[in-house]
Amino acid sequence: MLSPATDRRTAGRPARSHQIQQGVRERLAPYAYIAPFFLLFFIFGLFPLLFTFYIALFDWNPIGERSYVGLKNFSDLVDDPRFWGALRNTFSIWVLSTVPQLLIALGMAHVLNHVRLRAATLFRMSMLVPYVTSVAATTIVFAQLFDRDYGMLNWLLGLLGFEHIDFTASLWGSHLMIAVMVAWRWTGYNTLLYLASLQAVPRDLYEAAAVDGANGWKQFRHITVPSLRPIIVFTVITSTIGGLQIFTEPLLANPVGGLTCGAARQCQTLTLFLYEQAFGRFHFGYGAAIGVALFVLVVIISAINYLLVTRIRSERP
Amino acid sequence: MKRVVTTATAVAAAAAMILTAGCTPGSGGSGSSDPNTFEFWSFTGINQQASVDAYTRDRPDIEVKLTEVGDTSETAQALTAALAGGKVPDLVLIQGDDMPKFMQAPENFVDLTTLGADQMTGDYLDWVISQSTTEDGRVIGIPTDVGGMAIAYRTDLFAAAGLPTDRDEVSELWPTWDAFLEVGKQYVAGTGKPFLDNTPTSIFFQAVNQGSERYYDENRELSYDKNPQVKEAFDLTLRMYEAGISGRIASWTPGWTAGMSKGDFAVMSAPSWMLNAIKTNAPDSAGKWDVATIPGGSGNWGGSYLAIPARAENPAAAWDYIATMQSPEGQLAHFLEHGALPTTPSVYTDPQLLAKTDPFFSDAPIGQIYTESVVNIEPFYIGPDDATIGSELLNTLTSVEQGQVEPDEAWDTALTNVRNALRG
Repeated sequence: MLSPATDRRTAGRPARSHQIQQGVRERLAPYAYIAPFFLLFFIFGLFPLLFTFYIALFDWNPIGERSYVGLKNFSDLVDDPRFWGALRNTFSIWVLSTVPQLLIALGMAHVLNHVRLRAATLFRMSMLVPYVTSVAATTIVFAQLFDRDYGMLNWLLGLLGFEHIDFTASLWGSHLMIAVMVAWRWTGYNTLLYLASLQAVPRDLYEAAAVDGANGWKQFRHITVPSLRPIIVFTVITSTIGGLQIFTEPLLANPVGGLTCGAARQCQTLTLFLYEQAFGRFHFGYGAAIGVALFVLVVIISAINYLLVTRIRSERP
Repeated sequence: MKRVVTTATAVAAAAAMILTAGCTPGSGGSGSSDPNTFEFWSFTGINQQASVDAYTRDRPDIEVKLTEVGDTSETAQALTAALAGGKVPDLVLIQGDDMPKFMQAPENFVDLTTLGADQMTGDYLDWVISQSTTEDGRVIGIPTDVGGMAIAYRTDLFAAAGLPTDRDEVSELWPTWDAFLEVGKQYVAGTGKPFLDNTPTSIFFQAVNQGSERYYDENRELSYDKNPQVKEAFDLTLRMYEAGISGRIASWTPGWTAGMSKGDFAVMSAPSWMLNAIKTNAPDSAGKWDVATIPGGSGNWGGSYLAIPARAENPAAAWDYIATMQSPEGQLAHFLEHGALPTTPSVYTDPQLLAKTDPFFSDAPIGQIYTESVVNIEPFYIGPDDATIGSELLNTLTSVEQGQVEPDEAWDTALTNVRNALRG
């Protein structure tokens, strides 16, 4: 938005200054339009982030003493087996939920796109039901399904003559249980994203492939997946960031131990560990340090994702 | 320049709008404080509404805005957030386990001796009021109730196992925890079913509370790893587990509440507030339960305090509520209606209290049983990290029951867990 060059020789001082004013205004106007978002971001995004870095340098009791301790919170964190355990749990639950979730979503999108279904809209809409259900309600229902003595899953296992499994007590059992909850919630959502993207793929591609004798699997491999590449990258990134912040499910899935998700912290995620320290134990400084560690983790993983995306983009499908 | 100013004004106006949107006053945040209303935060499950109703029956001019924030820990968290810079209530109920955390910063609360608590402190059990009294004599909380200790047992299951069902006879079966263990073995041998719900809560939490000292010594130094009483309670719990009498059903889980109604276990530890939990979770088991004394005879688990935050808008009205409802007569009346055990020993010999029975529990004389369990308690110091240490020890024992930790490694694992928790 450059100010228009003045070609009127008769332009007097007042007019000239008016032009300058107008130029300045045109240059500034866009900033005013985008101001609301950035103001909100500075107040509710950037400021809390920087303040978290600041708190992490203190031994900070929200209602009592606070003293500057420098990087002690971080050196404690590195030595704290609970932190590494939470990191392991976070990654394990993330992998267990994301990988099957995206694969199932891909398959379902392919089927929903391909098959001429009656009431297709109904099927597509029903995909969103788990997503709009309250997380807390879903978690409580699933926790009951997985219960050791009276859960439906164990009842079925009992019918088949197997021993009951105490899902919440073991590391893998509890991870599996939470991964199922997360996958239940997000599979339909991702299916719809893939489906929306598939609508843009010309039908004659599939028809031509069918004429050439490509079966369903081959069509899926060579048409559906390549054309979905950008959206797959997008869902991987969003699932990653979401997966690193899983909180509600582990908070409610395992009533044993309060905020630790089990007696041995077997399914305590990083966000839950942060919450336990800051709001359960009133160690704001330590909680903030966990928050900073989580922030660094998300930045690193996002950077890796970015590199992958640029590589995938440069590959010709 | 005028136009530029306009743009700047637009930005400033946008900012102002956002800022004001960001901090609209919360509901009930009236700037002017009405002397006849006060805000009261409580937790669920303790039925403070009944006390509030009783209070406003006599004081129709007073309006009490009672909010049940959530469970005990959620209420403590909300209070912390409020104290740290939000709008505080005029009156708040704090669970005994959370009290030491707040006692670390007593300046957040009104010293109740300035309002007249110094006239009342003698009314309460020493070891209860001492937990809310600072070393320099400030009182920041008035106790509302204590837990006491007892064992709830299923008379129908006892009869089926060939055990006595009369509560006095049952109490005589287990004068000590070792005798209790033998009864448990007998029950399992006769029925093939678990005797008790779980060992960490029903055994460890009870036994460790019966000592003369718990996780701190008399100099207020940490002694959880050196105090033989803690180790004894821990080993006792492991012995109970290894004897195979536990149903390994962790407290507060869905299986636990289901197990109460289905009779999956015959006994569970029952401080006085647990009776309400049993009624709520297993209403159809009415009349099948009874209450016997706990091995060792005395002990306490639980209880709460009322406190007034320092920034309260109407401390006078809140104090009047405390002084009225938490007097010995007030606590007695609340007990007779709702079963929260008084902290005022002067009413422990009151005929109404001694005559109080509970039909759900086969007319057990709960007033008598629970007051006897708290009269002879030896007080011990409860420090700021007590709740943390307790939950780490309990969690390790739960891991043992869940087959994740071997019993012979449990004590070392527990100490490691406590050390990690105390460092962070």
